Amino acid sequence: MLAYALRRLLIAVPTLFGVVLLVFLMVRLAPGDPAVLLAGEFATPETLEAIRARYGLDRPLPEQFLIYLGALLQGDLGESARSRRPVLEEIKTYFPNTVELASAAILVALLTGIPLGILAALRPGSGLDLGVMVLALIGVSMPVFWFGLLAILIFSVQLGWFPVAGKGTLAHLVLPAITLGVNATALLARMTRGALLEVLSQDYIRTARAKGLAERVVVFKHALRNALIPVVTVAGLEFGSLLAGAVITETIFAWPGLGQLLVGSILARDYPVVQGAVLLVATTFILVNLLVDLLYAWIDPRVRYD
Amino acid sequence: MRKSLLALALLALTGALAQRLVVAQGTDPITLDAPLAQDSPSATVVTHISETLFELTPEGRIVPLLAEGHSFSDGGRTLVIRLKRGITFHDGTPFNAEAVKFNLERFISRELASPFAFLLSELERVEVVDSHTVRLRLKNPFAPILAHLTHSSTAIQSPTAIQRLGAQYRDNPVGTGPYRFQAWQKGQFVDLVRNEAYWGEKPPIPQVRFIPVPEGTTRVALVETGQAHVAVRIPPQDIARLQANRAIEVVRTPSLRTIYIYFNTQRPPFNDARVRQALNHAVNKEEILQFVLGGIGRISDAPIAPGIFGYSPVGRYEYNPQRAQELLRQAGVATPLRITLHCPTGRYFQDIQVCEAIQGQLRRIGVEASIQTLEWGAYLQETQRPLKENRIQMAMLGWGTVTGDADYGLYPLFHSSQWAPGFNRAFYRNPQVDQLLAQARISTLPQGRQQLYREAMTRIWQDAPWLFLHSEVQVTAIRQEVQGFLVHPTERYLAYKARFR
Repeated sequence: MLAYALRRLLIAVPTLFGVVLLVFLMVRLAPGDPAVLLAGEFATPETLEAIRARYGLDRPLPEQFLIYLGALLQGDLGESARSRRPVLEEIKTYFPNTVELASAAILVALLTGIPLGILAALRPGSGLDLGVMVLALIGVSMPVFWFGLLAILIFSVQLGWFPVAGKGTLAHLVLPAITLGVNATALLARMTRGALLEVLSQDYIRTARAKGLAERVVVFKHALRNALIPVVTVAGLEFGSLLAGAVITETIFAWPGLGQLLVGSILARDYPVVQGAVLLVATTFILVNLLVDLLYAWIDPRVRYD
Repeated sequence: MRKSLLALALLALTGALAQRLVVAQGTDPITLDAPLAQDSPSATVVTHISETLFELTPEGRIVPLLAEGHSFSDGGRTLVIRLKRGITFHDGTPFNAEAVKFNLERFISRELASPFAFLLSELERVEVVDSHTVRLRLKNPFAPILAHLTHSSTAIQSPTAIQRLGAQYRDNPVGTGPYRFQAWQKGQFVDLVRNEAYWGEKPPIPQVRFIPVPEGTTRVALVETGQAHVAVRIPPQDIARLQANRAIEVVRTPSLRTIYIYFNTQRPPFNDARVRQALNHAVNKEEILQFVLGGIGRISDAPIAPGIFGYSPVGRYEYNPQRAQELLRQAGVATPLRITLHCPTGRYFQDIQVCEAIQGQLRRIGVEASIQTLEWGAYLQETQRPLKENRIQMAMLGWGTVTGDADYGLYPLFHSSQWAPGFNRAFYRNPQVDQLLAQARISTLPQGRQQLYREAMTRIWQDAPWLFLHSEVQVTAIRQEVQGFLVHPTERYLAYKARFR
């Protein structure tokens, strides 16, 4: 198990390096002179020069990359071009809020998606099953921004149940968490249904039933455990993409997360912050992926012998 | 017992809410250090905390704020400013000539690298005459400096606080303004409290909170539910609904940004003024305003927008395709005339859509425009190439006269010394206009300057180096219970005169 974990960790290193290089090139190969974009429409040649010098934009690209990499290894993500705060400080302010929102969203997905999937699997082909699956289809295909705005209009403006936007009380968290989680909920419902149906058709379940066990015990004790293995994997990966994909939800609900920081920085071409934020999101995704892999290997030993 | 305590707490809470004005802006401020505050949310918050020497009224007049009065001498090369007495910063530091000197020197310092340093680029040095008088020595006579000293970035902040806090000052601003800084929870809110020791008229509302809400529809919902009192930049599709709501007032304020399409006036076919005038007559601006901009805009009647010192209406090119065709004939232009129109996309409100409408309208007089779009960075680069390498025939741009003075709205754009890579991207040259604009920099009498600008703008209007379009309008939603909230043409939102009904 330890050897497997180490091997997986080592594979993550080149991936991370690739991410760093890609992010670095992405912001620099975008058309236009970054100094002009940073300085804004009023910049005089002197201002431009000062900005180029300040952010090292006057040096050749490979040199810029080495400087960036060197600083990065020392935990220095640079300084925001707009606020002139250390990028790390900016990210520290916003990222915990994204983690909070994504955690709430995955909780919503687990607590509603799995029970719905079980219900559907127990009565395959019934009206209930059909209803859950149609809901899941809608949930998967619904655009987040549309769902979010609709939720605000109905539950905040019309009914007045929840605050419109912002962060503060638990009530503030409800609508964004549901909005962000609805996709994952649908996915988990379908996954659970599929996996449980497959397990329920296996021989050992028939044996369990044959020896006269109560259906409740058969389903929850014998079938569900095995059925949940792929569901755990999907849930883990979904959590990773929720962290990375909260941008739209955060924008709609004015949630002070990384997405808001990222969007503002992209619009203003604040390269150091964009680099830092994308890097963090990518790293988190890789780490979550890694954890899921390890978890999977732990649950199902067969995975380790590939 | 517990119940009554709860009720009491609730009462206190609602009481506090009624005392606090909540303003939903598009984004969080970036910094609260005045010279570095580039964006409108930052400038808005800064304006409540820190004050400038002079103030630009929403009507475009320049009046003293921290200054008591001023006088030019030495042919406009020296500006003496007398300061108001008895003012202290929120931290108790006295406001005086030393504080002004410290702030202005910091403003132009290379270490600070303020993006607005150009505002005081003519400033050579600052001298303290006595405790409440400063003398500004200029490199050249430069009358617009008064307007530049109204810009929020030139606000005078506590020297003690700046020295003590260093880089942390941006999160703990200290000024002389009607509100004091209280707290800033990044991405969530900035809280200000009334400055009880304010030297001027104290603001009626004791607390103001600014919240960042990027999505327009969400800002609207906040105002509809009363969770915010003011929402800025209302999306066009929500205006009608808000107007139908009696609890909310929709306020339109012209902004200082002008949208235009410039011609390369040095190359055929646009080196002939008649061709440029023809295109001005061929575009139906009313139609664009109504159907493309949804009524949010103001058709230009001068190269600069109202609210800028020196603005006066100088004309209109009425929509007249026959006249346009006649002008083209006079200029000897054969139709169909094929040209390229460069246009940004997503930079200005409905930019590409406006270009497409113009494309259709030009077709009616036999001008076939093909639209070319580029990503903004590349677009800027193309427009600022020097004449020899410049391939652009006509292109849309916007110009925000952020100083509130006609000099900045005209000199960089129309003086022949400012050809690209400067901001005169039309390569416009008219010796008379050059002279008028130069003279207006030296003339230190406001009325004289106004007259000079009127003449310059009249000539520019006739020469038509631009296809004059419109200036932007800010749409703000304000709840009825709030009175006296001010939307400034410089895109700042001011709460210090607001009160609850």
